[in-house]
Amino acid sequence: MIQKKVCMLGSFSVGKTSLVRRFVDSIFDDKYHTTIGVKVDKKVVTTSGQDVTLVLWDIHGEDVYQKMRMSYLRGMSGYLLVADGTRRQTLDDALSLNERVVQEFGKLPSLLLLNKYDLTDQWEIDSAQESKLTAAGWNVLHTSAKTGDSVEKVFLQLAQEALGR
Amino acid sequence: MAEQAQRRAPMAQAQENPTDNNHAYEELRHLIVAPETEGLAAIEERLDNLDKRTEDVSAVVAEAIDMRRATGDQALAAALAPTIQETLRESVRRDPHVLADALFPVMGPAIRKSITETLRSMLESFNEALDNSFSARGLQWRIEAMRTGKPFAEIVLMHSLLYRVEQIFLIHRETGLVLNHIVAPTVATQDPDMIAGMLSAIQQFVRDSFHSPNDETLGSLNVGELQVWLEESPNAVLAAVIRGHAPADFREAMNEALEDVQRHFSSALASFKGDAGPFRAADERLSKLLETRFREAPTEKKKTRTAVIVGGVALALFVGWLGYVSYLSWEWSRFLSALQKQPGIVVVSYARDGRTFHIQGFRDPLAPDPKTLVSQAGLDPTKADLQLAPYYSLDDAIVARRAEHVLHPPPTVKLASKQGQLSAEGSASQQWIAKLEERGPWIAGVTEVDESHLINSNLQQLYTLKDSIESDVLLFPLGSADLESGQEAKLERVQNQIRDLQTQAEDLHQPLTIQIIGHSDSSGIEGTNLVLSQQRAEQIHHSFLRNGVRHQGLQPDGVGTKQPLRTEDSEEGRQLNRSVTFKVSFAPASSATAGSPSGSAATPRGH
Repeated sequence: MIQKKVCMLGSFSVGKTSLVRRFVDSIFDDKYHTTIGVKVDKKVVTTSGQDVTLVLWDIHGEDVYQKMRMSYLRGMSGYLLVADGTRRQTLDDALSLNERVVQEFGKLPSLLLLNKYDLTDQWEIDSAQESKLTAAGWNVLHTSAKTGDSVEKVFLQLAQEALGR
Repeated sequence: MAEQAQRRAPMAQAQENPTDNNHAYEELRHLIVAPETEGLAAIEERLDNLDKRTEDVSAVVAEAIDMRRATGDQALAAALAPTIQETLRESVRRDPHVLADALFPVMGPAIRKSITETLRSMLESFNEALDNSFSARGLQWRIEAMRTGKPFAEIVLMHSLLYRVEQIFLIHRETGLVLNHIVAPTVATQDPDMIAGMLSAIQQFVRDSFHSPNDETLGSLNVGELQVWLEESPNAVLAAVIRGHAPADFREAMNEALEDVQRHFSSALASFKGDAGPFRAADERLSKLLETRFREAPTEKKKTRTAVIVGGVALALFVGWLGYVSYLSWEWSRFLSALQKQPGIVVVSYARDGRTFHIQGFRDPLAPDPKTLVSQAGLDPTKADLQLAPYYSLDDAIVARRAEHVLHPPPTVKLASKQGQLSAEGSASQQWIAKLEERGPWIAGVTEVDESHLINSNLQQLYTLKDSIESDVLLFPLGSADLESGQEAKLERVQNQIRDLQTQAEDLHQPLTIQIIGHSDSSGIEGTNLVLSQQRAEQIHHSFLRNGVRHQGLQPDGVGTKQPLRTEDSEEGRQLNRSVTFKVSFAPASSATAGSPSGSAATPRGH
């Protein structure tokens, strides 16, 4: 079976962990985030008739107290960049984080997730901005931990892209 | 083809323009030397073109170096050395990992060898330290070492190194993905993918957090009795989950396995893209690490049975010994109480030392020999250490015995002592009685002598004589003062007895009075009878004096019919009354004769 290390990146409290909680196998407590800054989960997806084990490194979001450890990203085959659609700032942070990642590890398969799509009334990102992101080469997806919308799709897509490398 | 076409073209031009000699010449020349010129140009170009030249040299450089080396010439090595050194230096400067990774399989064993030596000497000093330890555990191990005959250090190691390697993870170092995972039978595990990922994360965390030099990272994790040992190679991480305490050797085994994997799978590791398939081949190599496992307690059952038998025998021996000891103890205490009761022996203290009894006290020389008493009690006299100081016992039995030793009483005397009073019973000579009176009070333990129950055997003899003399009756014929015929022998016997009595009484300083009493029967006149009786007494008195009887104490007296021996209702009775009898008393003469009729001068006639 093919295994791939994938990471989940994004600012603090954009809902990374909540987003995947229902969809992955997990044996570790969330408190690892605040202690060593990462929690490893697992997700098996099937693409093109092939099972792929995604070992998902859920990296603790950056905040004033904790800086993200870039070394945790080493060896990853792709990543999910997560932003909170109801807070514009988190998208900017995610993009600047992405720049650092690309600088260090080169271009890797990645998806940009605009999370908390269930809260459309508070949505801060308009379609123009989204078009700009798509134009810049981003595969933008709307997700919601609450409804679970698109989450399976996200993993499948990432697995496909990671396998293509 | 195109080239040939070009070559032909000038020739055709020359034929068409014969005036142009130069051209013709050139053409000719070209025809003659063109191949050489082209060859030269090609050579020229090859020489001028650096790329071409490099290409040429590259084709032969390996063979050239090989050929040169084959000549045995050291010049090549000398020439290359500075460059190689410079190259290595530059390589390390740029990225030390490249060289380190290349050298890893070589350096590992060499370093390990030297470390093993260091560890061995450490272990020896560790043993020494244990040797000097007196902890309860150390003592227990020491007993086990004695029991099993194994060296102490081996026992310590056996107990210290009980362990079981439960899981082995081979992890791709860069991605943290599992390459291989081996689990010991019956071990429950969590998802190895996540575990491996988290282990990598933790390693990374430690590396980042503590900025360790030389890229070192976590070597082990301890969780209760579980340990996770980690070893890294350039591309892989080997993690062993161990229950208990594995020996340092095990890390060496891990290292060897990891080096093995690194060597065999170096390309697969370097180009790993998530397919762990190729690493299945490492199964066998990694499984060996699981084989170094927890040592079960050897043949517990057998040991238990042996222990039960040994314990049983020991218990039986112990009980037997205990019984024997208590029996001995009981025997001795019985002997001791008997000894305590023995007159003339006082036990002050006693103690047992192993099988020997030490008894201290006092003993009267007249008390029985204690060694004999030990033998009589059925005990071994050699096991008795008797220290009895001599003393005079005041015990009644001993005092009586002491008196016997001093006084040598005749067999007719029985001596007894009671609370200081020595009493003699039986009969003894006057002489011995005198000795008793004289020496008795001086005997240790005697305060008083009681001889009230002692009969003087000499006096007894006097009384015997007295009785004998007093029972004799000397008979006289009717009316006569001369002894009847046939009475002479009796008279002589009486005389002898009286002589004896006189002698003995004198010896005993006994006053003696012998009354010679004359009697008469009642026939005839009373006055005559009295005279006749007196004459009869005088007659015997004289006879005595004639025959050596001393005069002193003899009192002849006639009582007539006043003291008849018999009633005179028969001739026999009357005959008995015509007689002389004797009365012996051990008293001075005056008192003995008081009130008795004194001798009269008249000699009346009587019957």
